[in-house]
Amino acid sequence: MLSKFFIIFNASLQNEFTYRLNFILWRFRNVLRLLMTYFLWRGIFVNSPQVFGYDQSQILTYILLTLIVVSIVLSSPSGERIGEEIANGDLSNYLVKPLNYLRYWFIRDVASKILNLSFNILELSLLFLWLRPIVNLPNNLISIFGFVYAISIAVGIYFLLNASLRFFAFWSPENIWSIAFLTFVFLETLSGAVFPLDILPKTVQIGLQFTPFPYLIYYPIAIFLGKIQGLEIIRILIQSTIWLFLIFRFAQFIWKKGLKTYGAYGK
Amino acid sequence: MTDPVIQVKNLKKYYSVHQKEPGLLGSLKSLFKRKYYDVKAVDNVSFEIKEGELVGFIGPNGAGKTTTLKVLSGLLYPTSGQVSVLGFTPWERKSAYQKQFSIVMGQKNQLWWDLPAIESFILNKAIYEVPDAQFQKTLDELVDLLEVRDILKVQVRKLSLGQRMKMELIAALIHSPKILFLDEPTIGLDVVMQKKIREFIQEYNKRFNATIILTSHYMEDVKQLCERVIVIDHGTILFDGKLDEIIKKFASDKTLDVTFDGKVDLEKLKEIGKIESFEYPKATINVKRSKASEAATELLKKFQVADINITEPQIEDIIRQLFTNK
Ligand SMILES: Nc1ncnc2c1ncn2[C@@H]1O[C@H](COP(=O)(O)OP(=O)(O)O)[C@@H](O)[C@H]1O
Ligand SMILES: [Mg+2]
Repeated sequence: MLSKFFIIFNASLQNEFTYRLNFILWRFRNVLRLLMTYFLWRGIFVNSPQVFGYDQSQILTYILLTLIVVSIVLSSPSGERIGEEIANGDLSNYLVKPLNYLRYWFIRDVASKILNLSFNILELSLLFLWLRPIVNLPNNLISIFGFVYAISIAVGIYFLLNASLRFFAFWSPENIWSIAFLTFVFLETLSGAVFPLDILPKTVQIGLQFTPFPYLIYYPIAIFLGKIQGLEIIRILIQSTIWLFLIFRFAQFIWKKGLKTYGAYGK
Repeated sequence: MTDPVIQVKNLKKYYSVHQKEPGLLGSLKSLFKRKYYDVKAVDNVSFEIKEGELVGFIGPNGAGKTTTLKVLSGLLYPTSGQVSVLGFTPWERKSAYQKQFSIVMGQKNQLWWDLPAIESFILNKAIYEVPDAQFQKTLDELVDLLEVRDILKVQVRKLSLGQRMKMELIAALIHSPKILFLDEPTIGLDVVMQKKIREFIQEYNKRFNATIILTSHYMEDVKQLCERVIVIDHGTILFDGKLDEIIKKFASDKTLDVTFDGKVDLEKLKEIGKIESFEYPKATINVKRSKASEAATELLKKFQVADINITEPQIEDIIRQLFTNK
């Protein structure tokens, strides 16, 4: 079991490295975005010590953190492949093997995330050495552990949401791309990737608590920044875990239905 | 040994196809209301295959060959009928079954495109839980048989079609399956490569006593490899038996190839049989099977003949006839 994991993991890493130029350009884009964001905000703070009631370090921390969390959680390169493979019938290659398809793609996602995260950390370290920005780090272990746990759950939730969405290729292979695109715009906004959700009206915020979306980006960040503390952290983490479980069952359900269709109609 | 490992009884697979309307709106509409019609891809097919047999499935495009193999592999649920392979029901997709068979589809590839083929083999080793020693032994044997040792570490995308097919075969065989389904394994390959793949299939069948079903529309594949063939068209079996029996069963005619040595009266020649071609001094005449020797004697009596040959029609021709007469 473990060896299966490592072999898939290893092959995925090798695969990522095949397109070196691609990879380098992608990193370059990330660094550029980081720098642009940094200098933009520094410019804004040149004349005023506070913007929207936040000081420079608070905003900077928030923005850097969002970039990192988004790049860890809202990246699931396998999602697209799942949709494609269902639509073009390559899924058959896996179905004849003693292999759990979802688990396989999850491992490949994790491999790609670990690779990207390592580079993220490297780039950030260089940035900090160079520009020495002032950021606010959590001052207690609970926030840090809570953050790590929340991120892990978020990765799982996003992977399963994305995969379930792609499963619609079982029924509508031609339109899977447009369906996915529309959903993602919606999903990113509601997750807190575009703006912090606490600027929304209270009622909307409460409503969003009953969806899985804020658990993807907003809550992990809020925990890290100390906006949520103590028992509240535990409550959020339990809720996110429940969401993970529910979405896992949902994904399985759709997958089984989809396989029935696949088995009936073929590809 | 004599128990069939593959049993198929009254297998039907109808694809229910809905008429699609174009565009997002069309498909939204069709979520609620769809018109269906049936494609009878496999229509009441029965056969049994014993351990170690190498059986050829032949039939024109759309005959139902791939569909049958997909049902046997558990990729498709049948509309009705019973199927048992090694005692398993394929579409339950038990891993105990999956570890004992393999399917290779000529038009599909399972290898990782961007990595050397060896990486895909290692991956399959892990997926099928093949022990290290067995993996090494099987790999060595297959690599030698297919002569691909020098290209094991070449990125798959850089291999030729034929080299890739060889690697596909290794990937499919690394867990030493007892049963192998080969769907058009030689499609698109040049003649030399076709021959190599063919020889490999034969050797593999003999050496490991593997049960193999091979589909192809190259008659040569089937002629060289398979003692037994199943001829299928429009989802039904037209013939199941020894290859040479096809000729006896379906060839109604024989062909006389004559070379003349003197004048030929065409009218008289027409009385002998149906003239397929006449280009002095050669002629080709079709006659009823039972009348062949009689016709030859008559030819010798009535004409000046330099040479005469009675030939069976080519299997290709018979098969073609079978398919067009349907
Ligand atoms: N997924 C599918 N949906 C609908 N019809 C299909 C599908 N796959 C195959 N068919 C139809 O079923 C028939 C048999 O196809 P197939 O088994 O692929 O034949 P072969 O492999 O002998 O060429 C053909 O008429 C084909 O068009
Ligand atoms: Mg076919």
